[in-house]
Amino acid sequence: MTDLLFYFFSLVALGAALVMVLNPNAVGGAMAMIVSFVATAALFVLLEAYFLAIIQVLVYAGAVMVLFLFIIMLLDVDKVEAAYRFDRIGTLAAVCGFVLLASMLVVGLSSSHLPVPPTELVASNPDVISQSSGIPFTSSSKSFGYSLFTKYMLPFQLVGFLLLAAMLGVIVISKRAAQVD
Amino acid sequence: MFAIGFLGVILRKNTLVLFMSLELMLNAVNLALVAFSRYNNTMDGNLFVFFIITVAAAEVAVGLAIIVALYRKRQTVMVDELKALEN
Amino acid sequence: MEATNSLLLVLFAPLTAACLIAFFCRQRPQAAIALSLSAAGVIFIASLMATLQFTRLGDLSASMEWLRLGDFVVNMGLFLDNTAATMLMMVSFVGLLIHVFSVGYMRGDAATARFFGGLSIFMFSMLGIVLADNLVMLFVFWELVGFSSYMLIGHYIAKDEAAQASKKAFIVNRVGDLGFLLGIVFAYWHFGTTELTELAALIELNPALINGTIAALLMCGFIGKSAQFPLHVWLPDAMAGPTPVSALIHAATMVAAGVYFLIRIVCLFPVELLPSIAWLGTGVALYAGFCAFAQSDIKRILAYSTLSQLGYMAAVFGLGYPGLALFHLITHAFFKALLFLGAGSVIHGCHHEQNIFKMGGLFRKMPMTSGTFLIGLLALCGVYGLSGFYSKDAILIAAGLHSNLIFFLLVLGALLTAGYMGRLFWIAFLGRPNSAAAENAHESGPAMLLPLIILALLSIAGGWLNLWPLGLGEIIQDDQARLHASVAYDAMHKKVVIAGSVACLVGLLLALLFYRMGAQKDRLQTLAAPVYAFLESRLWFDELYDFYVQKVQQRVALLLSFLDVSILKGLCMRGSAGLVALVSLLLRMLHTGNLHNYVAWFLAGVLLLSAFVFACA
Repeated sequence: MTDLLFYFFSLVALGAALVMVLNPNAVGGAMAMIVSFVATAALFVLLEAYFLAIIQVLVYAGAVMVLFLFIIMLLDVDKVEAAYRFDRIGTLAAVCGFVLLASMLVVGLSSSHLPVPPTELVASNPDVISQSSGIPFTSSSKSFGYSLFTKYMLPFQLVGFLLLAAMLGVIVISKRAAQVD
Repeated sequence: MFAIGFLGVILRKNTLVLFMSLELMLNAVNLALVAFSRYNNTMDGNLFVFFIITVAAAEVAVGLAIIVALYRKRQTVMVDELKALEN
Repeated sequence: MEATNSLLLVLFAPLTAACLIAFFCRQRPQAAIALSLSAAGVIFIASLMATLQFTRLGDLSASMEWLRLGDFVVNMGLFLDNTAATMLMMVSFVGLLIHVFSVGYMRGDAATARFFGGLSIFMFSMLGIVLADNLVMLFVFWELVGFSSYMLIGHYIAKDEAAQASKKAFIVNRVGDLGFLLGIVFAYWHFGTTELTELAALIELNPALINGTIAALLMCGFIGKSAQFPLHVWLPDAMAGPTPVSALIHAATMVAAGVYFLIRIVCLFPVELLPSIAWLGTGVALYAGFCAFAQSDIKRILAYSTLSQLGYMAAVFGLGYPGLALFHLITHAFFKALLFLGAGSVIHGCHHEQNIFKMGGLFRKMPMTSGTFLIGLLALCGVYGLSGFYSKDAILIAAGLHSNLIFFLLVLGALLTAGYMGRLFWIAFLGRPNSAAAENAHESGPAMLLPLIILALLSIAGGWLNLWPLGLGEIIQDDQARLHASVAYDAMHKKVVIAGSVACLVGLLLALLFYRMGAQKDRLQTLAAPVYAFLESRLWFDELYDFYVQKVQQRVALLLSFLDVSILKGLCMRGSAGLVALVSLLLRMLHTGNLHNYVAWFLAGVLLLSAFVFACA
């Protein structure tokens, strides 16, 4: 059952992504993006990262994409012009992109390259626990918050500052443009 | 998904779609991270994804503000017309 | 004042004066004169103090590390022993007198400040040579003296002759200095040190360390600086500079620096090398004596006289008596400076007329100058009782004791000296004035007369070694003692006194009879033109060197210049610049302004990196 769900949702995600990239209409692309994000959230749920799934829907699909839609509609882009590059470099880039895809697939699917999960390591070598062990996985958001405030306290605070800076930056940029008008 | 996003970045001329493809790439990375963290039975990957989402949101905000300012200056968002830094 | 501080003062007073003049007083001759003169005074007082301290404390030395390249260390140090103290007192005193003289002589000159700046920097360099304690530092100051000489000879920048002469002096010196430098390098490699005291100590421990090549190479510097054969060609031309310069540099001090240097490194000389030095000196002494007969410029005659006396110094050094060379150096400094300053007074009085055949009857017009000039002349010729007599006497005795041939030649040289100096005196000072300039000659002012008088007194009294103050001249007394102790000294002594006096009187008389007082034309030229022409040619050295420079060296220089332009400038410099430009052109093509291109390049980079990573893993 879980397998079926996984295949379904991953197909949706990939398909929506493709639609987004190939759609000449920007708004259509944004819509497809939202679908893709929701599908990814579903995949998160399948991976038992419930908190993250909710965050994904709320932040990404909800806020970010809405913002995108706002801007698209604000800027009122014509869809008449050719949407893709068809010149030499574009072709070359496309080829390289496919090569990238192929290489990643090859690497990803050849299981010999996958590292052994550290559970065995933990058992055999107690020293490894302090170095490479992460916080043990649970699906509750409580452990999420716990580790945020203990092990990842510093990045947490820094991200706070980052958000502040981003907010200020946006205000400044928009304001300057407004004054130009 | 990463490759698809990358193709989008390369092939599309509309800056906004470009930006969305960029977000797609980030999303793909998020997915991979969550998968790996589940595979390794650790919370670190999830936490990192949390941070990525946060940062990506901030980045989108700032980036869109820049695009708006750029549009106001140049009256276009097509990437091949934004060639002021040529040579 | 602490001992070495007075030495430092000696060195840095003129340097400070020169720097101040160069930076601030270019247009203020009065300030420059004041600075330079006070520096000379300070030098003299500080030298006195240093010598006093030396008598109390013994050898003074101070050293400071200057350069360090791994194991190779070059120190800057000062060393005052008896020889250095003697030289120091002479240089500072004569320098002071010449500074005073220059105040009067250079009045009205357009570039007085530059002149006095040059004098100060010269004093600095010369005192550096006197006080240096190692060969490298000595070489540095050697070159500085060459530079000062260049600057001062070419003082009259408008005169082409002066510019050429200064270049000639510097370049000829440079040729000698090449050998000098090689000698220093070789000495360092051989002995492991260039400090003079250390060298002496090393050689005392192990006399087998003496190396003739090193000595010969170091001697090249002496040959260049003291105008020995074959690098003697610059000295007569150097007379194009102002007369005080000729007095200071080319009579009393700089050319003597070569002899002083030899005395400093006497321990390095193997016995086999010394006779060649003696013959070299004798050769120059005679050659210059002959050449002086064909000169009509008063300064050039004196220049050849200097050349001749340097030959004497080299000869007695080669005979094994460095102390006697120092003795003659010092007495020569006194009377030659006197003669040059007297000539300067004459030139100044005759409104820059330098041809002796246009002078005449100056004795009546300029009595003080003529009187002192006469004293100097007699001292040079070696008249009994005057300073020159004692030193020349000693030289002739030494020659007589060791080599009859050299003795005979040196006596002949004394005869020639008396001859041309007599010629000078009879023609220029006696008889009737031969030109308007000589008619209107006037006696010089006190600034110029005072040094003349003092130097005259010194020329008279300088030979009385027992009266030398502060125990100076110890090395001289040692050699004198050695001489006295030699076998057959008394007989030789009598012989020399007689021979010397006879040569002197005969020379003077013959000159009088032949040239007549106040002549207008050179009688030798009139009577025996070919002989005169031969003497005037000075053995065609200048022509030889000129030919070499023009034909040989110039061609090589052109070839090298061509190589330089084509290979170094064209290929390497322009080539490398072009290469950089090419690369930048290529890189500029990356700036398309197109976002997609940038992303594509980004991808390319990522692929490359991942390929690399996978290859390594």
